[in-house]
Amino acid sequence: MLNQRRFIVGAVLIAAAVSYLVYAGIRSTSMYYFDMDQFLAQRAAHAGEDLRVKGWVRAGSIVWDARTNALAFDLARQDGSAPVPVSYHGVLPDMFAAGREVVVEGRWADGSLAARQIMTSCPSKYEPAKAGS
Amino acid sequence: MPALGRLAVCLALLCATFSVGASVAGAGWRRRDLVAAGAHAAYAVFALVAVAVAILLRALLTHDFSLEYVAAYSSSTLPVQYTVAALWGGQKGSLLFWVFVLSLFTTLVQLQNRERNRELMPWVTATLMVIAVFFLALVTFVTDPFELLAAPAREGQDLNPLLQNYWMMIHPPSLYTGYVSASVPFAFAIAALATGRLDDQWIRTTRRWALFSWFFLSLGNLFGARWAYEVLGWGGYWAWDPVENAAFMPWLVSTAYLHSVMIQEKRDLLRVWNMVLVLLTFTLTIFGTFLTRSGVISSVHSFTQSGLGPFFIGFLVAVILVAGGLVAWRLPELRTRGTIESFLSREAAFLFNNLILVGIAFAVFWGTVFPVLSEWVRGVKITVGPPFFNRVNAPLGIVLLFLVGVGPVIAWRRATPRNLRRAFAGPVGAGLAAAVLLRLAGVPLGWAHATFALGVFVLGTVVQEFWRGVRARQAMLHEPASRALARLVGKNRRRYGGYVIHVGVVAIFVGVAASSAFRVEAQQTLAPGQEMQAGRFTLRFERTESSEDAHVARLAAVVSVREHGRQIATLAPEKRLYKKPQQPTTEVALRSRLTEDLYLVLGSYDPKSGLVTLLAYVNPLVSWIWIGGAILALGTAVAMWPSALERRERAWAPGRVGVPAK
Repeated sequence: MLNQRRFIVGAVLIAAAVSYLVYAGIRSTSMYYFDMDQFLAQRAAHAGEDLRVKGWVRAGSIVWDARTNALAFDLARQDGSAPVPVSYHGVLPDMFAAGREVVVEGRWADGSLAARQIMTSCPSKYEPAKAGS
Repeated sequence: MPALGRLAVCLALLCATFSVGASVAGAGWRRRDLVAAGAHAAYAVFALVAVAVAILLRALLTHDFSLEYVAAYSSSTLPVQYTVAALWGGQKGSLLFWVFVLSLFTTLVQLQNRERNRELMPWVTATLMVIAVFFLALVTFVTDPFELLAAPAREGQDLNPLLQNYWMMIHPPSLYTGYVSASVPFAFAIAALATGRLDDQWIRTTRRWALFSWFFLSLGNLFGARWAYEVLGWGGYWAWDPVENAAFMPWLVSTAYLHSVMIQEKRDLLRVWNMVLVLLTFTLTIFGTFLTRSGVISSVHSFTQSGLGPFFIGFLVAVILVAGGLVAWRLPELRTRGTIESFLSREAAFLFNNLILVGIAFAVFWGTVFPVLSEWVRGVKITVGPPFFNRVNAPLGIVLLFLVGVGPVIAWRRATPRNLRRAFAGPVGAGLAAAVLLRLAGVPLGWAHATFALGVFVLGTVVQEFWRGVRARQAMLHEPASRALARLVGKNRRRYGGYVIHVGVVAIFVGVAASSAFRVEAQQTLAPGQEMQAGRFTLRFERTESSEDAHVARLAAVVSVREHGRQIATLAPEKRLYKKPQQPTTEVALRSRLTEDLYLVLGSYDPKSGLVTLLAYVNPLVSWIWIGGAILALGTAVAMWPSALERRERAWAPGRVGVPAK
């Protein structure tokens, strides 16, 4: 029985180590994921933090400089309201286009979102997006 | 024809339901005629689903765009191999394909066990057919692949261009095979719990199925990684996306089971644990299917809401309740009296490897569902990305790799100091020497350095095992080395096949560690004739070339690559514009060598100025991941091949005794 108890202690130690790694990992790497309305309401409180914001690329707002790979556009609600300027340096994702839904990862500072990454969703593998939706 | 397909699916649903009822009733009332009827109904399910699949395949190949599915996932210009792949390219087809594989395996299991496992088989059939009923009901009532369009389309919308890739043809079938074959050990576990036949019989019967499932899960994951590497164009192969995690979690638990089951066979320990692992593996395959289809968790693949989520949740809850309830009911009989005697024993090493594997699965699970949980609990979505998974899994992976070396060579029960010296002096010495040499060669201390050194340690244990086995045979039987090696492996296939798999695992670990730690990235905007540097490669953008066919328009940037002033390759990364879903895609140019891959992406092209932006990645040792996969496949083949001993065992299988000849 003594052995049994030692093994339970060993197993608990491993479980504790895994839990700690998960806990510390989440603490140090997690990011808020806001939709446009949540972002508009809470951006002041989270200025300078890494965030993810889901919104739509406002039609007519894309400015792209092929020479410097600088991109600027407005992230907005689906109807184009409440635009937030986004700046980004890097290669455009294939699926990036006006009107598309995108997730911007970056920081909110000085009235604009400095994007580190722009994630576009590919048309789903399982259910093709119906036209107009 | 589509009506016939739909009819076949409906009949299959009826047969499967009947099979469940007849099998359970037959088992309960001990009526062999009912059990036989249940089994025959299961054969009928296979035949009917095969007919349905054939009809859908025919509709795809003949471009019958009156079918919604055919119009949505193929076109008349789609190459024939991708037209076949469209069978599992969409939700509806993939669910039908799933039932097809399931009913095929049910048939195989029944043929294998015609005169064996009399008591277990009705429950096995019933369990497998319950799963079939669930999927067939989805295909019949929720996502009908034979749905007709109001007016036939003139042309199909084509398969998503990202899926038009060789690896995407074989990745889903491999993964489905792995997922679905996990239901066989699950069904036997349920049968053992239901009948109370909790001895090793069900484990021995499903040993090969568990390995088979694990093997296809491994392949499925590797093919998926390879696809991501070639197609997605971000320079990596694994992004900890929920869809990837969905396939990785059952693999982890299945790996744990394959190891801990040896403890049960050898020492009759861990019976509850093994039971739980088998049940958990299956549950995770259903959870994975749920994740990829429900849209509950947003992924890069962004599966839209398909309305299937609640059905899967319901099924998942039912599976967990039934399986958990059965285990709780049989718990007193499942308990074993033996104990593990010492930390320094093979049992302990395997137990710890199990805890680590399940721990990794838990961490991956937690990271995957965290956004949903945080939204439920706190009302705001909090996401974790690749940094979370890498941070948590790097230390766990290192401990796991260490145990890969320890497990196979440490003594059973209790290792003596003499045993430890004999087993570990050589491999530990080799690992330490490698650590020092790598450090002197300039490899910085860190996870990658530790992985390389531990990899050498594991290889040391494997080489030592082969060497000692061959030497022992030579000394006792005076065989030449080559024959000694062949016989040694032939007579202990599982053991030495396992060692070969470990070599493959080391290769994968090394490839992953090197390519994550020492990857070089460069990005530059170039005019024709300009150059950029990526690691030790000089890349010169020569010109663009364009071409076009009915299916796709291509624009390639021709780049010549120099190393130390010498021209070594010309690469042409492309942008493609697929015509039917008007979608641009990136075609990576790859120069793959054993030492490193040069991975080139055409980031953007500006027609006005003629400028291109090139992205270059130098990924060291990444090929070893795929080579490791091939070694792993070889090792699995060795381990699965029936040995002479097993063939004799089979001839004397308990079920056969006393069965009157037909």
